Amino acid sequence: MRIVIEHPDQWQGGQERDQGDPRGPGGPPHHWCGILALMLVAMAGAGLLQAQTVGSPRGEDIGGYNITDSLETGYRFALTGGNDGLYRSDINYGNGLRLLGSTLTIDSKDGHGRYFDEMLLTTAGLGNDPYETVTLRVRKNRLYRYDMTWRENQYFNPGVVISGGGHLLNTTRLMQDHDLTLLPDNRLVQFDVGYSRNTQTGPGLTTAQEFDTQSVAFPVFTDVRQQWNEFRLGTTLHLAGFTILLRRTWEFFKDDSVISLTAAEASTEANDPSVLQTFARGQPYHGSNPSWLGTLFTNRKLWAVNARLSYAGGNGNFALNELATGLDRFGGAANREILVSGNAQRPALAGDFNVSLFPTDKLSLVNHTAVSNTRIDGDSYYTEYDYGTGGLTTLSFNFLGVRTVSNATDLHYNASKWLGLYAGYTYSDRQIRVEEAESVPSIPNSSLSNLYPQESTLSGVSAGLRLRPVKAWTVNLEGEAGHASGALTPIADRNYRTLGGRTQYRTKKLQLGATYREVYNENAPLSFTTYSSRSRQASGSASWLVNRWFSLDTSYSKLHLDTVGGLEFFAGATFPQLQTGYDSIYISNIHAANAGGRFTIGRRADLFVGYTITKDTGDGRATAAPSGATGATALLDSVQTFPLTYQSPMARVSIRITPKLRWNAAWQYYGYNEQFQLFSYYENYHAHTGFTGLQWSF
Amino acid sequence: MRQPIRLPAGLLATLGFLWLVSSAMAQTAQPAATGFVGSNACKTCHVDIWTPFYKNPHYQSLAAGDLPPARTGCESCHGPGQAHVAARGGKATVVNAFSRMQPNRTMEVCLTCHGKDFQKSNIRRSGHTLNGVTCTDCHSIHHSPSAKFLLAKTRSETCFACHATVRAQFEMPSKHRINEGFMDCWDCHNPHGTFAPTWRMGSRPHMVDQTAANDEACLKCHADMRGPFVYEHAPAAVEGCETCHYPHGSTNGRLLRRPVLLTLCLECHNGGGTGTRLAGVDIQSAQHNLLDPKYQRCTTCHVRIHGSNADAFFLR
Repeated sequence: MRIVIEHPDQWQGGQERDQGDPRGPGGPPHHWCGILALMLVAMAGAGLLQAQTVGSPRGEDIGGYNITDSLETGYRFALTGGNDGLYRSDINYGNGLRLLGSTLTIDSKDGHGRYFDEMLLTTAGLGNDPYETVTLRVRKNRLYRYDMTWRENQYFNPGVVISGGGHLLNTTRLMQDHDLTLLPDNRLVQFDVGYSRNTQTGPGLTTAQEFDTQSVAFPVFTDVRQQWNEFRLGTTLHLAGFTILLRRTWEFFKDDSVISLTAAEASTEANDPSVLQTFARGQPYHGSNPSWLGTLFTNRKLWAVNARLSYAGGNGNFALNELATGLDRFGGAANREILVSGNAQRPALAGDFNVSLFPTDKLSLVNHTAVSNTRIDGDSYYTEYDYGTGGLTTLSFNFLGVRTVSNATDLHYNASKWLGLYAGYTYSDRQIRVEEAESVPSIPNSSLSNLYPQESTLSGVSAGLRLRPVKAWTVNLEGEAGHASGALTPIADRNYRTLGGRTQYRTKKLQLGATYREVYNENAPLSFTTYSSRSRQASGSASWLVNRWFSLDTSYSKLHLDTVGGLEFFAGATFPQLQTGYDSIYISNIHAANAGGRFTIGRRADLFVGYTITKDTGDGRATAAPSGATGATALLDSVQTFPLTYQSPMARVSIRITPKLRWNAAWQYYGYNEQFQLFSYYENYHAHTGFTGLQWSF
Repeated sequence: MRQPIRLPAGLLATLGFLWLVSSAMAQTAQPAATGFVGSNACKTCHVDIWTPFYKNPHYQSLAAGDLPPARTGCESCHGPGQAHVAARGGKATVVNAFSRMQPNRTMEVCLTCHGKDFQKSNIRRSGHTLNGVTCTDCHSIHHSPSAKFLLAKTRSETCFACHATVRAQFEMPSKHRINEGFMDCWDCHNPHGTFAPTWRMGSRPHMVDQTAANDEACLKCHADMRGPFVYEHAPAAVEGCETCHYPHGSTNGRLLRRPVLLTLCLECHNGGGTGTRLAGVDIQSAQHNLLDPKYQRCTTCHVRIHGSNADAFFLR
């Protein structure tokens, strides 16, 4: 929604420095006060800047630095109707004053700034937009480079229809990344230090199923408190043409979310007398993932090598205490406490080795071997107390081990200026071992253990060609086919093939493109154990810079998907019986288009109008389920397709008031319209959003 | 009593030694300069490029002042300029005129310096390289409108220029916030190529980045789904998040592959297939009457569907 008007044609550059004096002729002394002053000047406004030397329209030269700044502040509005929950999930813009966006750049003009040579600060959405970002880069040639990203997302999950209204989340997710590289341009060694943090906090609603596994699930409050921290320390060495990277990472995470009930909750189902009178669940989970990463690579005239080895040792400790009282589904008094404790580990090792050969200028051969081994295991002690009487403690041990070895070879041949070819072969071998063990520690010889090994091999071939009949026109064709002997899930790739093509015509003023890609995964013959999916995607796009005052961008995509999978389940009008012979069919036909036109009216105004639409026509049926269908047939038919229309026209205008001041305004409409009800819910909404603001820039 | 050498001290000593050795090697490895005229000769004619060039990251090579001619300024990318100057211009006399170069040649020139970057160490086997997409297709060295990375277009518009179907997915109602500016394509992808994925069969998908611990890129942000859990949802741990979710955008809520959980879950839990158990993925319990609305929304009860430490059926 933010308008950023660039003025590259207005930029005229600043006064050049005397190259003989790295600090510039007569430049002010460089010290921290000076740097702070520069930033204050940049952030404060035109009043201060007018006292400085008048520079070009784009940027001010101060003390050996060139400064550009752009601040856009204004009021954002949103007028919504319909399902507000889904609007907040999809869009979530609200009302209020915002710093809609800003960009500050400070560049030293000779590359010898005292404390930094480049500073870049960008912000978007500050002041309560649901998507707020700040990025900062500060760089001093040869000495350091610091990158920071800060993001805040106001997340809203309305508990959409598919979960029956449960699991509402109204949280704030904060993410930040800091990376400091020392000696970034050094030809011998670099050091890097990094820190990342990711938190999610806020209220929500979840569900708790009480007092047995056939009972209803009651809505309960949750206070989400999740935190993840990562620290990184590494060094890069360049020795004898090889680059060696060593990095140590420490990850720490914790989830201290608590779940509670503030008032008694009765079942809303008919003939179900169950009541949840009190409920509380605490389930702290703390852990760490320390890891090592080592890489080695080199690029030579005739060959290149690239290797990686990493190891991560993850572990987590947890405890759970849940206490619930009320009436069970038979109306009897119920009192249950559950205690669980234990820990889980996940050591993961991964290694890669790439060898590239370039016997001629036209030919390259790349062979890649990868090994990964992940072992996840954990113990969980479970004790249940009913009416204060403890049952037997059960110890569960679970192990999931995955070992994958893969090798891929790609051959790339540039036959001529207009023809390039490639071909590849990949082979993978994956072994999975699952162990599920359970015992009652107080009873000797009570252990039960089951081991489920599974092995799968995958062979795949790929080929492609690139044509360039004329300089501006390229055509790419590619295909891939593969077979996996033992897919883990029915829907995983087993017998797959892809075909794709792309053509592009690119000149400075006109870009035309068209693509087609199909992905078929046909695990035939069709039976209830198999699954088949066919995806076809096609697109066309055009981007035309007609002249200095008019440009046009447009694209259209058609995304088709049809899948079929056999089902077995239990269902019945009175009591559940095994149902066989049913299929799960899903058909989606999405037409997506967007168009945008940008007009410049004189030197005074810019106008952008655009429109996007996503329309899933489903399989063309008029009603969700054919009339007359009953029972499981009606249920499955009603979810085979999900036609809807989601469209969004928009307009933005930017008018120059003075060379440094512009008035910007934007409007965007969102319309979401489901054609069929899913489980008797309509979630349609519409919203007018936009903003009006002033942008000051130099 | 002798104290054992501490690792930091040993590491620093090793690094110092390596520095000295490499310094000696670097001093003897500089190639002889032939045909180089220096960037001052270029700015005479190419004033439009030269004037703002101090804002370009490549200006560092000039500011350094002590790099060999082949690594300094304009000629570090475009090659020796003597013939070009002597001919008083013309693309034919530019050693490396990128608009006339083959994609692989362009890449080789850029890798002369950027080949030392770990993030680009897999570029030779990336899908972009195989399909003839080279550095200058996405990066504009002299006229970039992007605040970072010298991109040819602003942020994700660079990718959308070719990937129109992906752009369409980000315009769907449920999507990751690319268009809102909250994130970028390269939060999840490395357009320069990646190592083999540690999920699925280790061959696909291509160009999806990994976390520091080799996990799928999704877990960079969704760290709460990572675990480890005593009871892992095996498809998520082995096949990845895409088993149930579309990564870019979807017409279904929560980026799910189906509009309702009923079919999303049943397509695997159908009593057949392969699964982690030899007898196949478990069919759901006989107590589950699918015609009862209570059982049509699976995660109402199976709240910890991404993994649990307390319950094998993800109930808590």
